[in-house]
Amino acid sequence: MIFPAMPSTTDARDDGDDYEVTLALHAALAGFVGLLVTIVWAATGAGRFWPVWVWFGLIVTVVVHALGRHGVDVLEQRMRPLAFHVEVTVFVVAAELVIWALSGGGYFWPIWPITAFGALLGVHALIVNRRLLPSLRERELTERVDVLTRTRRGALDVQAAELRRIERDLHDGAQARLVALSMQLGRAEERLEDRPEVAELVRRARGEAGAAIKELRDLARGIAPPVLADRGLVAAVEALGQRSAVPVDVDARIARRLPPVVETAAYFVVAEALTNVAKHAPTASARVTLAERDDTLVVEVADDGPGGAEETPRADAGASPTGLAGLRSRVEALDGQLRVTSPEGVGTAIRAELPCGL
Amino acid sequence: MRVVIAEDNALLREGLVALLREREIEVAAQAEDGDGLLRIVEGHRPDLAIVDVRLPPTFTDEGVRAAIEARRRHPELAILILSQYVEPVYTSELLASGEGGIGYLLKERVGEVRTFVDALERVAGGGTALDREVVAELVRSRRAGERDGGLAGLTPREREALGLMAEGKTNAAIARAMVVTPGAVEKHVSNIFAKLDLPATDDDHRRVLAVLAFLGAGEA
Repeated sequence: MIFPAMPSTTDARDDGDDYEVTLALHAALAGFVGLLVTIVWAATGAGRFWPVWVWFGLIVTVVVHALGRHGVDVLEQRMRPLAFHVEVTVFVVAAELVIWALSGGGYFWPIWPITAFGALLGVHALIVNRRLLPSLRERELTERVDVLTRTRRGALDVQAAELRRIERDLHDGAQARLVALSMQLGRAEERLEDRPEVAELVRRARGEAGAAIKELRDLARGIAPPVLADRGLVAAVEALGQRSAVPVDVDARIARRLPPVVETAAYFVVAEALTNVAKHAPTASARVTLAERDDTLVVEVADDGPGGAEETPRADAGASPTGLAGLRSRVEALDGQLRVTSPEGVGTAIRAELPCGL
Repeated sequence: MRVVIAEDNALLREGLVALLREREIEVAAQAEDGDGLLRIVEGHRPDLAIVDVRLPPTFTDEGVRAAIEARRRHPELAILILSQYVEPVYTSELLASGEGGIGYLLKERVGEVRTFVDALERVAGGGTALDREVVAELVRSRRAGERDGGLAGLTPREREALGLMAEGKTNAAIARAMVVTPGAVEKHVSNIFAKLDLPATDDDHRRVLAVLAFLGAGEA
């Protein structure tokens, strides 16, 4: 009759969903039983206040109930055993202190179990610490990887910016001078109508200047197509779609300009993928999706062609990588991923994930 | 014909001015950026504005945007864009921007003085002058994009005539370029319009717009 409300009756119904409800019920029941016992104590003529032991027992059942669930639900997965251990130790020690106090103090016997439990907890903590926390060497390596990732990205950003600067310089410098030269040759040609053989020479010189201008233009376009530099990725991809050999549907959800190195990589992924579609599935149509999720640009080019595409093996070291292998190096240099899926009869999808920042 | 020029590169601007003056074309004013273009168009009311695509301060598509804005304020203004690269997107935007004459030429075409001045006059008169590389780009994507009929049904000579038409050339100019008689050109043109199912018209300018609309640039 000392522990009238066993926790097992409430625990059995506790299936996790209505945990709060069962715990509240449990507490209410314990309170009710405590009150009842106190009334019985008063009715039997008071005397020594024994219901304090009943209250203690009831509180223990409620705390066990609460702690048990807390250990399962709330604590962080990795540290769960240790945290649970801490909670149990604190609980047992508290219980012993209460029992010691209730039984009227005297010799402080709880010191022995407290020491033992404390030592046990210490050993447990030491073991967990050694297993979970990285060693010094590991920490050094982690820091080194962080630094290398950052500096590599920095180098790529600088390179992309440099390439765009070179493109601008070509445009404003050599190319503009050649255009001016071509204009002057044109004017000279106009004045040489009476000397056709000289006019012919000048015309040929103008042709050479024109060829040089065209070569410079192609070179600049290979670095970064003007529309990409001028208007950003979405406009450039839409332009690619418009001039593609197959019908292309572009779905772009990017509101801001991304770092040049990411824009350029994404642009060339789309360009190469669309070229491949036109080459291998000329009757298909393609869909390009651009979206930014969690600071990562996701580029996907999917077609409804015959599928069954195989990635050509990586170009040998030394040879300049071309096609998909070239794209893969470009993407991986940014810590991105490139995946090609091409189930037979379903179509081919090329998906690149490019981290946009650090 | 009175023209204004917006070009930030002094070398090219001066070369252009000298060339036009030799041809007795009046250069009313010059500007170095987009705002300057809007100002001189407002102040001088020229027949034609020659505009570089990349202008300060952004050096991106400033020129195209300023030209479209100038057109919005003065719908009758003819625009000739000079660029160092071909960008069909800009062509489409310009063609969609209004009724007046539109040209988009690569800068080195200025060296072919006679052809360049022809193009200038055509654009100032409300016509169209597209660089052959722009047209080639349009034809390439159109051809690749279609499954049946369309350009595939044209003979090589008809395709050549179509390209020259898209550049904005008149029958006489097409005849010179293809080294045939104007009558032969007319026959090609009517064949093209019949095969592509385009509305027949005697108006040169409308004809060009129909062809460009078919190629996917601008509106009919």
